[in-house]
Amino acid sequence: MTPAIAVLLAQAPLPTLLVIGLAILFGTIGAKIFQKLRIPQVVGYIAIGVAIGQSGLGFITEETIQNLMPFNFFALGIIGFMIGGELHRDIFRKYGRQFFAILFAEGIGAFLTVSILITVVSLLLGLGVATSVALGIVLGSIASATAPAATTSVLWEYKTRGVLTTAIFAIVAMDDALALILFSIASTVAMRLIGDASGGFFVMLGEAGRELIGATLLGVVVGFGLNYILRRIRERDKSLAFIIGAMTVVIGISLALDLDRILAAMALGVTLANLAPRRSRESFDIVERFAPPIYVLFFVIAGARLHIQGMPGWIWVLVLPYLVGMGMGKVIGTYIAARWTNAAPALRKYLGICLFSQAGVAVGLSILASHRFKDFSAGGVDFGMLIIMIIAATTFVAEIIGPPCVKLAVKKAGEVGLNVTEEDLMLSYSAGDMIDSALPSFTENTTLTNILRTIAETDAMSYPVTDAYGKLTGIITIDELKRTFVAEGLTDWLLAFDLMRPVPDTVTIQTPLDEAVTRMREQELEYLPVVAAEGDTHLAGMLELAAVNRSLSREVLRRQQLADGPIEE
Amino acid sequence: MKVSDYLTLEHVVLLTGTTKADVLDELVSTADDFSKNITIEELRQAIWEREKMMSTGIGQGLGIPHVRLPGLPDAAMAVGVSQAGIADYESLDNLPVHIIVLIAAPQGKHEIYIRLLAKVANVLKQDDIRKAIAEAGDPAEVYRILTEGKV
Repeated sequence: MTPAIAVLLAQAPLPTLLVIGLAILFGTIGAKIFQKLRIPQVVGYIAIGVAIGQSGLGFITEETIQNLMPFNFFALGIIGFMIGGELHRDIFRKYGRQFFAILFAEGIGAFLTVSILITVVSLLLGLGVATSVALGIVLGSIASATAPAATTSVLWEYKTRGVLTTAIFAIVAMDDALALILFSIASTVAMRLIGDASGGFFVMLGEAGRELIGATLLGVVVGFGLNYILRRIRERDKSLAFIIGAMTVVIGISLALDLDRILAAMALGVTLANLAPRRSRESFDIVERFAPPIYVLFFVIAGARLHIQGMPGWIWVLVLPYLVGMGMGKVIGTYIAARWTNAAPALRKYLGICLFSQAGVAVGLSILASHRFKDFSAGGVDFGMLIIMIIAATTFVAEIIGPPCVKLAVKKAGEVGLNVTEEDLMLSYSAGDMIDSALPSFTENTTLTNILRTIAETDAMSYPVTDAYGKLTGIITIDELKRTFVAEGLTDWLLAFDLMRPVPDTVTIQTPLDEAVTRMREQELEYLPVVAAEGDTHLAGMLELAAVNRSLSREVLRRQQLADGPIEE
Repeated sequence: MKVSDYLTLEHVVLLTGTTKADVLDELVSTADDFSKNITIEELRQAIWEREKMMSTGIGQGLGIPHVRLPGLPDAAMAVGVSQAGIADYESLDNLPVHIIVLIAAPQGKHEIYIRLLAKVANVLKQDDIRKAIAEAGDPAEVYRILTEGKV
């Protein structure tokens, strides 16, 4: 940050609401630019955050970040709730053993490799055996966590579906719990190694258990209550209010009782998703529509709070082994467990690289560590601050490389674009993709006899009529033809010209399908003629609403089957 | 559906012309009160546009020129009878046309249009009715037969 701006902002920080607005706007613009570069949007949000935050221009000050903390918890709650919504009991029934094995293996793999590498490098830096091992195991335990938000945002952005996607949701949802347990063990052992032995091992473990079990219970209990209420509510806006209310209450209680926030929100989501799988889908859809600006702000703030200046240079020497250890540990651990449990090849090959993201939980644990170890030093640096700095630097790198790795993995596994709705498909198609270009058209002087003969051989509901030069002049629909059944004896001299109705509207083959369908619905049309280009009157084909709906449903089903395997009879 | 809902006595004429062009003009000129929105010329053009595609001489001495026009408030008819017969009408059976029924309908009233065409064709399918109309020397008699559907 330039000194002038820093002084100015220190004297008069931007109003919080203005910061929120700017963060959402610039974050979205940044994401669009990154999306054009084929980089996941979340990296764009974080990069904008870094640029305008503590490590960059300093528009978002420490004070503003503190003011936005409740919002941050709220956003984490939404993310946790949405992840919970992805975890149906069928998943655990089908993959439970595999997922738990992979979870333990990747978590413990990262813990072990980071512990060993950090210990070795610290020894080489001359930090002494006890300090090196203590630093190693504390950082190792933190490395076992995976940030759910950045990881799952890539899955949502690319509409993925399949065994890899399911595994990612399940594992990121649960590995915070593992990280908490590992951290409580590691920090107790580290404390014994470097000095004070107070706050014994079982006390720490008991505390971790209380956080995890308490959070789960809280989410489940509120989930039952919310389900009871939602069963009686029909209006969407009221449902949204109840869901957000319940979720905020869960987060608030978690904060008050010092329980694991994200786990509590996930438990709420899991409970709702499993008590009423079909009805709750709508609840999750409502929250999903409401969530995007909250995600943007959450990640921009995550980028803004990264403070990577003012670190002694040698700390960066520890950043590399941490990142390498975390990556290797997760990839190797996942590979071994996936092989051992005969998991799908996609999990063996690609799941490990999806678990690199690191954020909230890691930062939270590093803050916890900094409080716990504040009276100790390592290499002339406060031991607690050392952990905070290493986690800040590695979080910065992991947040930048994590999402592209997830994208690469889901792409390689062929799961991109398989979790689509008909609305999503409509946005990706143009009218030209859906036209029936083989549909017969009639010239104006075609007799009713010939028209009836032709339509008996096709299943369309509307037919274009053209003049002698191929110019579109009207439409004949089955409805109009039905009325001619009273006109017995007229079939030889009634012409397409006598039966056609005027062309109501046309679209071109490039018109986005959703726009074409909206126009049909607004004008209550079952069909719309499609011409080659704007101003052209020559027909390219016909778009029929019923046929479009059929094609979209078929395509959604095809993609779902591709992701989930064929439906069993 | 009744023919009398769409046909008035003023729109029944005994034709004097001997060609298709003459008699269609005669008939169109009786239709000047079909709508304030439609001129005689527009009606004539619409009729000829349709005739160019295929003659409306459907055989058995019948011609049923028919058009749909956006400005019409409701369907309307005009009937012309030529005792001499119009040889150049290009009828399906190549015989002269004696009875010409002009039907004009609004663009949006497709069902009425088709029903009216079917009704007229059904009434005039009967030999005795066609014969009685062709030989009637009085528009009122033509009107009566057509609207009552019997001789």
